[in-house]
Amino acid sequence: MRAIRAIWMRLRRALDSEFDAELKSHIAMDVENGIQRGLDEQEARRQALIRLGGAEQVRQAYRERATLPWLLDLQRDLRFALRTMARNPGMTAVVILTMAIGIATTATVFTWIDAVMLQPLSGVADPSHLASVATMAAGGEFITNSYPDYIDFRDNLKLFDGIAVMRPAAFSIGNEEHSDRVWGELVSGNFFAILGVKPEAGRVFLPSEYGDAAGKYPVVVISDRYWRTHYGGDPRAIGSTIRINQHELTIVGVADPAFHGSMAVTSFDLWVPYMQQPMLNGVQTWMLRDRHTRNLLGIARVKHGVTMAQAGQELKALADRMALAHPDVSEGVSATLLPLSQSPFGPQGLLVGPLRILMGVSVLVLLIVCANVANLLLARATMREKEFSARMALGARRGRVVRQVLTESLLLTSLGAALGMAATPLLSGALKLLMPPGFMETLVSLRVRPNLAVLGFTAGVCVLAAVAAGLLPAMQVVRLNLSARLNDGGRSGTVGRRRNRMRSVLVGGEVALALVALVGAGLFTRSFRQTMRIDPGFDPNHVLLSQLYLSTNGYNLAQRKEFCRRLEEQMRSAPGVDGVAFSDGVPLGFEPSWWEELKVEGYAPQPDENMNIFRNVISPGYLPLLHIPLVEGRNFTDQDNENAPPVMIVNEAFARHFFPGRSPIGHTVHGWGSWFRIVGIAKNSKYHYLSESAPPYFYVPFRQMYREDMNLAVYVRTPGNPDNVLATLRRKARAVDPNVTVFDAAPLSEFIGASLFPQKVAASLMAIMGGIALLLAAVGLYSVMAYWVAQRSQEIGVRMALGARPAHVLRLVIGKGLMVTLAGLVCGAALAMALAHTVSSVSFTNSAMGSSASLLGQGGGDPLIYIAAAAFLCVVALLACWLPARRAALINPNDVLRTD
Amino acid sequence: MGDKTDVWQGTLALMILKTLETMGPQHGYGLARRIEQTSGDLLQLNYGTLYPALLKLEQEGYVRSEWGTSDNNRRAKFYELTKAGHKQVRKAAAEWEQATEILSRFLTPAEEA
Repeated sequence: MRAIRAIWMRLRRALDSEFDAELKSHIAMDVENGIQRGLDEQEARRQALIRLGGAEQVRQAYRERATLPWLLDLQRDLRFALRTMARNPGMTAVVILTMAIGIATTATVFTWIDAVMLQPLSGVADPSHLASVATMAAGGEFITNSYPDYIDFRDNLKLFDGIAVMRPAAFSIGNEEHSDRVWGELVSGNFFAILGVKPEAGRVFLPSEYGDAAGKYPVVVISDRYWRTHYGGDPRAIGSTIRINQHELTIVGVADPAFHGSMAVTSFDLWVPYMQQPMLNGVQTWMLRDRHTRNLLGIARVKHGVTMAQAGQELKALADRMALAHPDVSEGVSATLLPLSQSPFGPQGLLVGPLRILMGVSVLVLLIVCANVANLLLARATMREKEFSARMALGARRGRVVRQVLTESLLLTSLGAALGMAATPLLSGALKLLMPPGFMETLVSLRVRPNLAVLGFTAGVCVLAAVAAGLLPAMQVVRLNLSARLNDGGRSGTVGRRRNRMRSVLVGGEVALALVALVGAGLFTRSFRQTMRIDPGFDPNHVLLSQLYLSTNGYNLAQRKEFCRRLEEQMRSAPGVDGVAFSDGVPLGFEPSWWEELKVEGYAPQPDENMNIFRNVISPGYLPLLHIPLVEGRNFTDQDNENAPPVMIVNEAFARHFFPGRSPIGHTVHGWGSWFRIVGIAKNSKYHYLSESAPPYFYVPFRQMYREDMNLAVYVRTPGNPDNVLATLRRKARAVDPNVTVFDAAPLSEFIGASLFPQKVAASLMAIMGGIALLLAAVGLYSVMAYWVAQRSQEIGVRMALGARPAHVLRLVIGKGLMVTLAGLVCGAALAMALAHTVSSVSFTNSAMGSSASLLGQGGGDPLIYIAAAAFLCVVALLACWLPARRAALINPNDVLRTD
Repeated sequence: MGDKTDVWQGTLALMILKTLETMGPQHGYGLARRIEQTSGDLLQLNYGTLYPALLKLEQEGYVRSEWGTSDNNRRAKFYELTKAGHKQVRKAAAEWEQATEILSRFLTPAEEA
């Protein structure tokens, strides 16, 4: 306020000084003229000033002309508006809060959408030419790429400036005594060049570091965040060494502060060349050359002047050629370009589906808010018709009255808008709360900046609605015949009746929209419940899950296995521990699930049959610990070790598919270059989604098949609360090796909720939005009915004087309110049915496999939900009408008839 | 001085516009003098009232102003008619003529009636 005033003063001074100069020159000329006529200078000046009419008076008149009219009016209008607002604190609060809620929720959702879908990557150059390379397996699922795939893409694509590959990875930074775990990306050397990321300090990777030589690039680029938190932004950090996974790397630069890595809404802190893996996590050099080792995501930059379609075609043609050239690994594999916003990997894949629906819902809420604010202002303006008429009768011009109403509406709504805008950044951070527990939660970036354009738009829509609602009645008044308005007692004008109809329509619309939101919430919640009830086929209760990052401690493969053996030994003897197990993949988790291409003895695959079968690598304790029963054969034992012949356990679906009508036990299956003998059949369970139908699946023993690039999840079963056993796990892990830290421990039952996450988000957010919509509709209904009663109090008084009982009046008012509600419900039901049909086609992808599952169980046709939502709305409407109805019923005819 | 007439409300703007039309660009003092002279010194013009009137005309877009140098080498602000101003002179003059004509019918003795 002070700043505006300062600017204003300066402007005024400039204006004044210019006029002073003009005045001075005027007087000087007049004085000169007088002197020429023979007067002495003093007399000439005196006469000049008289003719002028006094310098100060002229200045005053001039200033008034220059500034005051509209400014004074504005000031007066503002003061009056504030007084009016203070006189109606209830209505003022409702309007402001309604607007704030509407703007904040809508802007928050749009901010998320912006961060996830519209501008997934920040800090990169020209993102419109970047695209996500999506490789697809024969079945159409999105899969990741191997490093040899990358080399093929890099060396053969002509329509691209280049392609970069990357994979997220956890690193441990520090020495043996103290280490932090930090998330980063293993990237191809050209990563920064392709994305167009500038260094903030130092440099990014040099072309000489783009090569494919294993272990030759001991360099690292750190994020601005990491630089500031760990080095205090000290430029001397550049060139210093950093101890990552117990190996020394040189920090060569700091990335642009806006750059957080190659995944939307995530923040990484380190970027290390992919080729450093042999040194950093013991990955064998041959695995870098192995087409089976698919663990890389790709982002490509399309050349200028080349369309995405052309580039996509070239990529697909090359991928198809590669599939033909390497049929053993890539049969049927194809690739396509996807806009960055549609990348199926990472948190984005999870959020896109729910966010789309959320966007629709927030538009609903925005509409309800607009209707509501319009409604309230309409009511107020109607009540003030007499005041406007009086003003005009006293000589106010039409424009003046309109301007006053405009000022009031604007003040009221901009207060609401400001409050909403202030709340938006706070709400935007809540995105983190929506992520499932585990590593995704720690990764999600809090740096979602509210988008000003979005905020402006949302606020603009509300303000526009409000101003229109405030202004229309005023305009009508202004056009009216003055005497008619003033003579009419302001009780029952015909205009009032028409406006009442308009308000009823608005409220009916609100009810309809609220029904849509409620039905949506109901449908999503039911779908979520249904999925929850599905038996996963294993028992996740009383199990603690944690991830060990042994490779970051510089362990080689044998050391890792030894660590696991000793940890298991230690844990078994600990109190409160029923069992310990290890595995690579976590069922229903977020980490990718892997597969292996199999040959099954005695089974001839169909020509286009997908022989890539999902698998898990497990310790002998895994199946018993998760209560997955064996239907035939035996479990793995400690004797199934490196020196024993390879063995395998398959699930029922596997047995049924590959060995129909006979037992698979004793038969052999080929994978990873050797033959495995099937020793057991496990019961089917859920692996990726609760809603999946059992796919063929198999298990191989941890000691026989564990490789350097695999994860290591540890499970501990306890009779009590899994959280209580965490301390034991920490202690025992430290007893085996003091350097090993247990990160990310969570009860398995919570962790597997991850697979339900998109449905959970959709259900809970819809419930919140539905609640807001309901509340707003109730407020709208109440305000209309309360106003109606106030307007009709005299009529009601007359009715009662003529013998109507309070019960009649109650019925009259409630009936009127229910009419509006019912009309709204009918429209809302039709709208909801149409929308549910559309929404049921929206799906989400789980980063595990990139395949999609439907958000909404079975369509949207459950009549029970519609009936329940409608009934609930009716009850709320009854309540909203009941308060004014009671007031009407309590009217004392004597009082009413006498006051007027 | 008592026999001089005050400027009638609303006529000053037309006087300014008309003067600017006939004389071309002119500064405030010159305008005031000229208006006085044109009225044959019958008008009691408060020079100071000219400036708010000029500002109003400027705000309405009928005149524009620019600093320049007067005949006797003094810095002064010169006012000039805009295109809209030229149009306004004709319009306002016509209106005024019509008004005076109507009024004169009341004031002159009826001949045709």
